[in-house]
Order: sequence, then C-alpha cells, then structure tokens
Amino acid sequence: MRRQKKTCPVTEAGIRFIDYKDERFLSRFITDTGKVLPSRLSGVDARHQRQLAKAIKKARYLALLPYTRSQSAQ
Amino acid sequence: MSREYEAVYIFDSALEDTAIAEKLEKHHALLGTKDPITLDTWGRRQLAYKIGSKETGYYVVARFKAEGKVLPEFERSLKLDDSVIRYLISVHEHELGAPPMTEEQLAARRARDGDDDDDEE
Repeated sequence: MRRQKKTCPVTEAGIRFIDYKDERFLSRFITDTGKVLPSRLSGVDARHQRQLAKAIKKARYLALLPYTRSQSAQ
Repeated sequence: MSREYEAVYIFDSALEDTAIAEKLEKHHALLGTKDPITLDTWGRRQLAYKIGSKETGYYVVARFKAEGKVLPEFERSLKLDDSVIRYLISVHEHELGAPPMTEEQLAARRARDGDDDDDEE
C-alpha cells in the first residue's frame, strides 16, 4: 500500500518565493510549540521545505514567530 | 557591485514616530545611495517573545540599492543605536524568472502528476 501523495501546499498556493516577513503564512508550518513542521506531515516539497526552514528562522530572529511556546501557557 | 538589499528594523516602541523617521534618515544617509529607499512602515506590533523587557516593537522594512562596502559602517551605526532593538539586513530576494502559474496551469499540472502516480502503481 502506498500512501497517498500529498500536493505541496506552497506550490498549491502559487507562491514562487517564501517571504520571511509573512508570519501568517509561515505559522502554518510550525507546530503548536513552535518547531518547524516536518515535510512528511505538511507535504511540502523538498525545495520549498528548505526555503521555509530558512524563512522561519529569520522570522524567529525578528520576533515575528516564537522560538518556542509552552504548551500549557496557550 | 551594487545590490538590492532589504532591511528590517525593530525600534523601541516608546519612541515617537517622528523620532524614528529621523533616525532612519540618519542611518540611511550612510548608505550613500542615489536611488530612493522604499520604506514599508508596519508600526507598533507585539513581539512574539520578549526582547529584554520589551514586548512591543516598531517595525520598519526598507529596501534599497547599495554597494556592499558601505554596509559594515551602516551596520555599526545600527548596532550602536540603542533605540534599535533588532535589525536584519539581507539581500533582497524576490520572484525571479517565470511568473506564478495560473489556476489552469496548476490544475493541468496536478492532473499530470496524478497520471504519473497511476503509472507507478
């Protein structure tokens, strides 16, 4: 049995370039605790996953996204 | 060589808007660019986490063309400015090459990818 192939949500959204300033979009690809969501769960293709990871790290530095968020506090 | 850069500044939100504009002008003067600097002022917003004791910051995004050799001095002045909580200068990366695919093209591609899957199985 083969798992159903997911379509990449980034490609789907028609985004050519992932912007680190767009925290609304990036927040779809982090977990509740703030980790980068693995592409095996999100279905993002490898190229976009690399771009996403970098964008998320930049966004964290600029305090647009949290580095971490405690589960109990939210 | 001149390149297009993008800088994001987070200023102390306690500052007056005019004071921030003044400071920006002062820092940007160091770049020595003739081209106009595109400013995108986001204004005050909540930080995702506390930086020091601050919970809000005044965000400004600037896009400019500059020579790489003027950047160290520019960065130094930002670093010494206490009202700048944080800054990030990066090469401005934007859409290159082909325009984004239209809905039809996307649909066609999805259909094609779907076919590929069937062949493998």
